[in-house]
Amino acid sequence: MSPAAKTRKKEPELFFNRELSWLAFNGRVLEEAMDTSSPLLERLKFAVIVASNLDEFFMVRVAALKHDVDEGDTAPDSAGLTPGQQLTAISQRAHEMVERLYKGIADEILPGLASHGIRMLPVGDLDTAQRSLLARYFADEVHPALTPLAIDVSRPFPHLASLSLNLALLLSPPNEGEPPRLAVVQVPGRLPRLVRPPGADGNTYVFLEDVIRAELPTLFPGQTLLESTVFRISRDAEMELDDEGDTGNYLEVLEEELRKRRRSRTVRLEVDAGVSDTLLARLTERLGVDADDVYRMRGPMDLRALAGLVELPSLEHIRDAPWKPVAVLDPADMEDPFAVLDQRDILIHQPYESFDPVVQFVARAAEDPDVLAIKQTLYRASGDSPIVQALARAADQGRKQVTVLVELMARFDEQSNIRWARELEESGAHVIYGIRGYKTHAKICLVVRRGRQGIRRYVHLGTGNYNERTARIYTDFGLMTADQDIGEDASAFFNALTGYSDPPRMKKLAMAPTTLRDRFLRLIERERRRAEAGQAAEIRAKMNSLVDEDVIRALYDASRAGVKIRLNVRGICCLRPGLKGASETIEVVSIVDRFLEHARVFYFRNGGDEEIYLASADWMPRNLDRRIELMFPVESKELQQKVMSALDSMFLDNVKSRWLQSDGSYKRRKPGKGEEPFRVQLHLYREAQRTLERARASAGITFEPLDGGR
Amino acid sequence: MFVTAMSPLLVYASGPFPLTRVSLSMASARQTDPSPEPPRVQEAPSVVAAVDMGASAIRLVVAEANAAHEPRVIEEATRGVLLGKDTFSHGKLDAATMEATLKALEGFRRIMDTYGVVHYRAVATSAVREAENCDTFIDRIRLRTGLEVEVIDGSEENRLTYVAVRSALAGHEALVEGDALLVGVGGGSGDISFLRKGEPIHSGIYALGSVRLRQSLSSYHGSHEQKVRLLRRQIHNVVEDIRREMPLREARHFIALGTHLRFAAERISGETHSTAHGLEIPKAPFLAFCDQIMADDTERLVERERLPQAEAETLVPALLACRELLVETAAEKIVVPEASLCGGLLLELTRVEQGHGIEDFRRQVLASASALGEKYRYDVSHARNVAHLAMRLFDQMRPEHGLSDRHRLLLEVAALLHDVGIYVNLKGHHKHAEYLLSVSEVFGLSREDMTIVACVARYHRRATPQKSHLTYMSLDRDTRVGVNKLASILRLANALDADHLQKIKDVRLSFEEGTWVVEAEGAGDLTMERLASLSRSDLLTEVFGRRIAFREGPGRI
Repeated sequence: MSPAAKTRKKEPELFFNRELSWLAFNGRVLEEAMDTSSPLLERLKFAVIVASNLDEFFMVRVAALKHDVDEGDTAPDSAGLTPGQQLTAISQRAHEMVERLYKGIADEILPGLASHGIRMLPVGDLDTAQRSLLARYFADEVHPALTPLAIDVSRPFPHLASLSLNLALLLSPPNEGEPPRLAVVQVPGRLPRLVRPPGADGNTYVFLEDVIRAELPTLFPGQTLLESTVFRISRDAEMELDDEGDTGNYLEVLEEELRKRRRSRTVRLEVDAGVSDTLLARLTERLGVDADDVYRMRGPMDLRALAGLVELPSLEHIRDAPWKPVAVLDPADMEDPFAVLDQRDILIHQPYESFDPVVQFVARAAEDPDVLAIKQTLYRASGDSPIVQALARAADQGRKQVTVLVELMARFDEQSNIRWARELEESGAHVIYGIRGYKTHAKICLVVRRGRQGIRRYVHLGTGNYNERTARIYTDFGLMTADQDIGEDASAFFNALTGYSDPPRMKKLAMAPTTLRDRFLRLIERERRRAEAGQAAEIRAKMNSLVDEDVIRALYDASRAGVKIRLNVRGICCLRPGLKGASETIEVVSIVDRFLEHARVFYFRNGGDEEIYLASADWMPRNLDRRIELMFPVESKELQQKVMSALDSMFLDNVKSRWLQSDGSYKRRKPGKGEEPFRVQLHLYREAQRTLERARASAGITFEPLDGGR
Repeated sequence: MFVTAMSPLLVYASGPFPLTRVSLSMASARQTDPSPEPPRVQEAPSVVAAVDMGASAIRLVVAEANAAHEPRVIEEATRGVLLGKDTFSHGKLDAATMEATLKALEGFRRIMDTYGVVHYRAVATSAVREAENCDTFIDRIRLRTGLEVEVIDGSEENRLTYVAVRSALAGHEALVEGDALLVGVGGGSGDISFLRKGEPIHSGIYALGSVRLRQSLSSYHGSHEQKVRLLRRQIHNVVEDIRREMPLREARHFIALGTHLRFAAERISGETHSTAHGLEIPKAPFLAFCDQIMADDTERLVERERLPQAEAETLVPALLACRELLVETAAEKIVVPEASLCGGLLLELTRVEQGHGIEDFRRQVLASASALGEKYRYDVSHARNVAHLAMRLFDQMRPEHGLSDRHRLLLEVAALLHDVGIYVNLKGHHKHAEYLLSVSEVFGLSREDMTIVACVARYHRRATPQKSHLTYMSLDRDTRVGVNKLASILRLANALDADHLQKIKDVRLSFEEGTWVVEAEGAGDLTMERLASLSRSDLLTEVFGRRIAFREGPGRI
């Protein structure tokens, strides 16, 4: 907790609740799914995102609140709501959201897809031949994977995995007068969820749970099936690591924790809308869930299965045209990025610009015999990441020191992270499995190279992960530089992380949890003081979430002094803009469009001597106090301009922008009369293309004198 | 080149890179022969490292440099390890502290390996030096990390710090005009030098180490205010001692080193001036800041100033020590240069081809020796004449004695100071000299060096070395041989000014038929000198097996 946190007074009218603000964000994503002007597969993609966002929200946030309630915690948050009150409000809004989502899915998106030949059929709609072939598939492939479980006094309710699909059914009792018997069949997660019925055309599917449902009588021979329903549970995924444990066994602890995760408490139950009260009562009793935690779904559960459809080939007419990233380095420069960095810094704006130079940066470093060391943080690396492979290659040679900090705590990605960590370690890299008590969220790669002029350091710093897949859909900035101070700071950073040194004083970087919070507060305060001294003062910032109370209060103080503050906050925003005497000069806009807005940019006018920073951190307590984060300056005028033109265009959008109102609602801005529509992501995409063309044109025109053929 | 006459080459095969410890200590400098090696052509700067194991932290600095350039620091690491806490409270290092230190050094070694560091110097100061289990600890470091750590004594620490300050403050007024007090408050001791126009004329090691001060209060259970009062009194007493040895009032400049000072400079940043030479803190805000810091106990300092525990614990003692010294001087500001022990080590590592070690500091050493002589009201003309003649003899006897430049310097110091015992009593003054010198400080000279100087001075007259002489016998055999040779030269040189009238200006030595012919250039009647020379060449004959003949030179008037 920050020192100020203990003494500050409660002013709930100044803050929004973070959970409800998050739900509002998910609501904005839902708007995209409901946007009838969007191509159908794009709508489907947003619908899937809304649903999977909700999954995580329940498993983490709702679970945490339920935990607070269980512990008897009634302390109100900064917005004045107790955990119990928050849960009630969340349940109400989440139910509304699911209602709207499934209205869109069941009434618009699925029927729309059907008209384009993508059909989800109930088994009953198949013809007899198809049905008998499907029964064969069931008998050969599905049945062996099933374990039907009748539940009674002697046989307890089975432990069901979080987010897995299951069938619950009622069987008539063997003896008259007894209640019907409950049974559960787990839908095997290993089999494809979408089953293509034999003989049907290419894009016709049946859901696996429906295939099983149709064959239920064969699973309980001789018994009368009264009713069945599909259901899905979400469990508490919050991990609590024992800090007293032995660090040497950190990996084992984590694996154990992952196993335990499956056994923890149920926080949500999704069931078919048509389930009978009897069956539902039996389920809620067995699972220990409240009525508020039950969601009746009128459509397929777990929309993640439909994500694959978005990528289906030859459906371009119901999908957005791809926006290809442009190359910021020409092929010659790609061959030797270090030579480029000796001359100038490189700033990449993903995904408008290609992430390839970063991959190349690491790959070249791995091959270059003059490179002495590569040190990198890895948080949510992708499966077959070329960066991980390059690091492994570098370590394999045994001549370079390769240090990799793999963050095992990246939520829901632990399984794949553990694999990378082990592979890297086997190839000879020095792998650090996280820092006790902190998640390493900083994105930094340091290359130490011995050049003719001596030791030189090359650093990549980013706002997004080293993941070339998300680099195509998340908007992020990455800076590559050979700046000496940043290089020294980078070395010091890794020395601190590897435990070789105590946290250092840094020259240009600021690091959480040591100095970043203070730094932000001081930067905001400096603008405030300048405003008080009568200077023009201004803050512009972009981030994913704004939650931190100290920062918000500092912004209010700055606003009261007259600092102009424009914020582009994609997700949660607990700051209440436009309040008289607190935040009149603050504007907040959220952009939700085809790319996930992910960059963190901070601009301070500083009396004309402008400062621009990029960071891995949001203005959230978890980033500033419980994570290892880095903020870095953009210093070259040219690159500052590039960042600022992107940041400023966020506030010009009148297509995908939503402006936060002082009542907590978001209002869309539409093009005014005679105004052109301005969609910021499209604008940035076109700008990137244009810049590339201009560069090509100026580089491409060369005159070659003819010499008469001699 | 790093390998010179003074540095035995130590190569360890552990780890991917063999490491060479470049040793500059006096003790290991003896008995080594010059090993000439062809100069290495270095295109790219080489990377060197310095490790300083202090009382409250261990530090690593990695730098690259070549002959043409100042070292450029490329990496630094610090680990707070309170070695001093153990040593200063119960005389030995605890297992946990040793383990933490070893771990940290392993990390340092990894950093050094990244750059393929081959040349380095790792030194440990009082916290390790004074620990009972010092040798075991150094051995464990060698086994675990392959790092060869030298335990240096206070004078070497003083000298290295001075090297760093001299470089950082080159051209600064504090080193150019008037007197300056150079204060380095470390964890284990306060290293203090009094500089006149940049030359240290007094220097000493005092009980002002922040960890040591703190530790001395650890068993006292009073209030914070009471503790601070006790601390001030303790510091005050030490400052009184210093004042007796150095003319503190005359110091117009105050130069201070240490992380605590830099912390103070940062906190009073509004008042601090940043110059090309480092930081300058005016006196008044510094005193105010000290008062403010003193009011807080460690817990509050940790919370409010966000200091690491180890730093917070030693902040108050360190700043108080500076404060009490500052007010004794005439300085109006504190100069805080970018200089440290590690910095001094790096400078020497990278400038090794120009020679290194204490003999490079002849001027400073002699200035300091002269100041000591003045303190005991020596006959400066006689002392200088004897020193000059001794040097002439030493140089001309080189092929015979085979001694190093370092010995030459020790002889020069002994020659300057051989009569200080007269201050106590003319009778037996050679013995008084031995005692006085063995407890005195001369800038840059270690305790062992001073023991040698004391012995040489003692044997300038009367008895030659005997097995019953305790100080002499405390030296090892090789050192004793060195003392014999130096003393034999001093006896002769002293005889050549037997009248204390400096009649002989120069001396030439020639070798004729198994006899050394001492040809004296001078004026006036040299009978006294002739007789004295013949009788005082007893030790020379004994050591070198040559007889001595005295001849007055042709140039005599």
